[in-house]
Amino acid sequence: MVWLTGSALVLCLGMIGVLLVLVVANGLRTFWPGDIDRLTLSSGEVVMGIKTAEDTQGRFLYRVGNRDIGQESFRWIDGDEIEHVEQPEDAVMLEREAWGVWFGIPESILIQNEEGGEDGDLVKVTDGSGETLEAFGEMHAEARNRRARGEAMRKRELGKINRGIEAARLAVAEAELGVEQRGYAADRLGWVSWSFVLVCVVFAGIVWWVRRDAGVGIGAAGVRVGKMTRFGCVVVVIFGGVGLWVGGPWKVAGMTGEQRDGVIAASALEQERLQVEYERVLGAVRAGERIDANERFVVIEPTTGRFSPIAQTRGDEPMMLSQVVRLVAANQLSFFGKVKVFGSRWWEFVSTGPREANTEGGVYPVIVGTVLLTLLLTIFVTPLGVIAALYLREYAKQGFGTSVIRVAVNNLAGVPSIVYGVFGLGFFCYTVGRYVDTGPVEGSVLESGVWWGLFGLSVVVAICAFGCGLWGRPDPGHRPRVLHRVLSKLSWVGWGVTVVLLVMVVARTPYFMGFFGARAAEGSPTFGGRGLLWASLTLALLTLPVVIVATEEAIASVPNSMREGSYGCGASKWQTIRRIVLPGAMPGILTGAILAMARGAGEVAPLMLVGAVKLNMDLPVSTTAPFLHADRSFMHLGFHIYDLGFQSPDSQAARPMVWTTTLLFLLIVFALNLTAIMIRSKLRGRMTGAAI
Amino acid sequence: MMGAMSDSERVGQEKSVVAETVMVGPSPVVPGGMGGEPAHYDMIDAIRRGENVEPTVHEELGAIDSVIHMNDFKLWYGAAQAIHGISMSVPRGAVTALIGPSGCGKSTLLRSINRMNDLIDGVRVEGGITLNGAAVYEPTVDVIELRKRLGMVFQKPNPFPMSIFENVVYPLRIDGERRKSVLAEACERSLKSAAIWDEVKDRLKESALGLSGGQQQRLCIARAVVADPEVLLLDEPCSALDPVATIRIEELITEISERYTVLIVTHNMQQAARVSNYTAFMYLGRLVEYGTTEAMFQNPKLIETAHYVSGRFG
Repeated sequence: MVWLTGSALVLCLGMIGVLLVLVVANGLRTFWPGDIDRLTLSSGEVVMGIKTAEDTQGRFLYRVGNRDIGQESFRWIDGDEIEHVEQPEDAVMLEREAWGVWFGIPESILIQNEEGGEDGDLVKVTDGSGETLEAFGEMHAEARNRRARGEAMRKRELGKINRGIEAARLAVAEAELGVEQRGYAADRLGWVSWSFVLVCVVFAGIVWWVRRDAGVGIGAAGVRVGKMTRFGCVVVVIFGGVGLWVGGPWKVAGMTGEQRDGVIAASALEQERLQVEYERVLGAVRAGERIDANERFVVIEPTTGRFSPIAQTRGDEPMMLSQVVRLVAANQLSFFGKVKVFGSRWWEFVSTGPREANTEGGVYPVIVGTVLLTLLLTIFVTPLGVIAALYLREYAKQGFGTSVIRVAVNNLAGVPSIVYGVFGLGFFCYTVGRYVDTGPVEGSVLESGVWWGLFGLSVVVAICAFGCGLWGRPDPGHRPRVLHRVLSKLSWVGWGVTVVLLVMVVARTPYFMGFFGARAAEGSPTFGGRGLLWASLTLALLTLPVVIVATEEAIASVPNSMREGSYGCGASKWQTIRRIVLPGAMPGILTGAILAMARGAGEVAPLMLVGAVKLNMDLPVSTTAPFLHADRSFMHLGFHIYDLGFQSPDSQAARPMVWTTTLLFLLIVFALNLTAIMIRSKLRGRMTGAAI
Repeated sequence: MMGAMSDSERVGQEKSVVAETVMVGPSPVVPGGMGGEPAHYDMIDAIRRGENVEPTVHEELGAIDSVIHMNDFKLWYGAAQAIHGISMSVPRGAVTALIGPSGCGKSTLLRSINRMNDLIDGVRVEGGITLNGAAVYEPTVDVIELRKRLGMVFQKPNPFPMSIFENVVYPLRIDGERRKSVLAEACERSLKSAAIWDEVKDRLKESALGLSGGQQQRLCIARAVVADPEVLLLDEPCSALDPVATIRIEELITEISERYTVLIVTHNMQQAARVSNYTAFMYLGRLVEYGTTEAMFQNPKLIETAHYVSGRFG
């Protein structure tokens, strides 16, 4: 038996170990610069590239790049065909802004005379590979910086102006919509009815103020009356206040024609101003680009003798110096030189955005998206799960009902995650999100009288349900009678009805027209589409069972003697929970949060439906208000791996990126978990006094 | 009398009472009664049969100033009755010990006074308890306030997982006391009265779980007295402690009884004899005999009490 159990464990560990070793080895290898081979094939063809793999039949996979001249960037070459292999000192691999890598021999750097204009002559300033490489080293950093500045300007300033123009245009659309809404303006409550509600609210407020200490500290019967009074008054004040505020008879939705004309005029002025600004910035950007275009770099490819072109359609012009992301003269590099290239590639990988359909460049937006999603989902799921578990363990009467709920919660953990994705898309994005954007669905809007009726009814039912709950519990030391049982059942029914009524009241209100109606009317929803907020809520739902189960166990493991001690000191139930139970259960709760985090970070399937996209360079966080753009779609490492591996136009080129992305993903999940575990152990140390 | 006994009752007796001699009556004949002659446990037998018996209460208790008074107090756990109508008074400013074999309802009775039994589902009570004249089991009583008037110490030391200081001032904290000076003053006072101040004064900020068992229990006593309770309820406070720690706690109880009324449940006869002024002997949810400790141990009125306190039965 020892052997059987032991070998099962070894098998499991072994498989995990192999996976990890594979991921780490392949992930690390990808960015290591290999030697550049120049092969002379038996057909006389000359090929330059880096060997990346070989198979059992003696064939080698070479990365040959140079897609511009019409070849595949990876090529299987039969070992028998190779006549001659050499590693020329001056062979370089260029990582370019576009069209992948280019293998070749650097020949010269050309400078275009400033006075020569666009079509001025290109003057050779260096000749021969050694000289060229040296000059390249001097000029490249500056050219890249210039280009980066230009791009930043394009992104920041032009982006800002564009947003301004968009906002001005939207203001016009909103004004038009406002005029329309004015036409359909929902009927308002009359002054008389409104004043009546106001009187009720004020009266309830006064009662609350006068009776706010009633029943406090004088035992079960008095407490009951006091609680009932206070609850009723608070509910009336809060709900009545909200109703008065949203349904005030002086408020009129939409705007008049004159107001609209004013908005249109202001917006036209604004657009004009922004347009001028736009031209100015664009001029500055273009000037930089012209300087860029003056510096050219000629790298000759051995097969056809062609140089790396400026663009695929302009094959007769050599590329700009600034188009080179990195030049790797692999065959000249010492070991430390290679380490440097390796480091700079990793840095690029984690700090820049993707290029070339995600197969090149970095994954910075992907990392940001993943980390944000995981943090948001933890923030959503932990309080929700903890509160639910607290009710189940501390407040609910243990019995058939709680057992059924526990089983149901555990089963929820087994629902396929794609189901959550479908639910999230249908409920969060298309229902809740649409409501936020445009308000209630047309045709479902209630008349204001009916709405107020339902609203009042829900308040009354809530108060009744609360009362039933209070009187449905027998005095301590007494047996529950039939009346108590009936009342407590009624209380549950009452709460259910209240929830249904409130949902109806909110969903069919005549007083809400949505926050982003104008954009939604143009077919570009804000919250009504896929986005970070809905994705994290969907994942929160998905990971809820994990948190509930872990928290319940943690709460149950707080010894009863602690609770008794607290009650014995005269603490109330809530004081005991807050000061004794929750702190004691905190390590367990954090364990649940960690598990939820790990599970949520690894989910991909639901994200495909509710928000993860192939490419979105607009980060969900930014320096412009509201800083966290939870409505934006985002990139996610899990989805990125799927996309690279299976959706990429050049999957062979993307394969190394799959490994590195996987490695990075594992590292990030590991880091998130490690942080949470460290917090937990710190807390635990404080709890148990182990630190003493 | 023999014929009136059913078989099941006989079985019950055989299980619970170690009989050295042949069974000739409802209870075993115990050698060496008070006068040397064989004795029957008439009272105990009656209780076992479920009859209502009149407890033997010494006259000294007739004239005392009582702080807690129970009047025909009954308690059920679900359908099982655990306390069968106990009437007794706890004298003010003295230590009263509740003794009796396991399962006789001592702890239940103690926990009924501060209504800790409310926390258990299905508990039902009848009859009344008064604390300083105010009824405990009335719908108008606020349980929280009631518990604040009574300090309780449990069988197992149960300091909370927080610092020593926070442990002691917990009852004040939940009362909403925030002034640092008040809390510090109360902490020092109650730690001193629990005779643990010298040991912990330099590490008030450290976790209470790092203390030894005896220290933890004294810390719990400090916690129980910090809010100046009217009565201190001790539920077998020494049963989880070693002999040295037990002696410290006993000394502390004697000391503390100068200021507080103490009601202590104990299994240890010597302990009851050492620390208490009055002793009540309970059996199967009923009071059997109640008197001054001296009388109960030296000159009890019932043979059952005499044999129980001398360890020959129970």
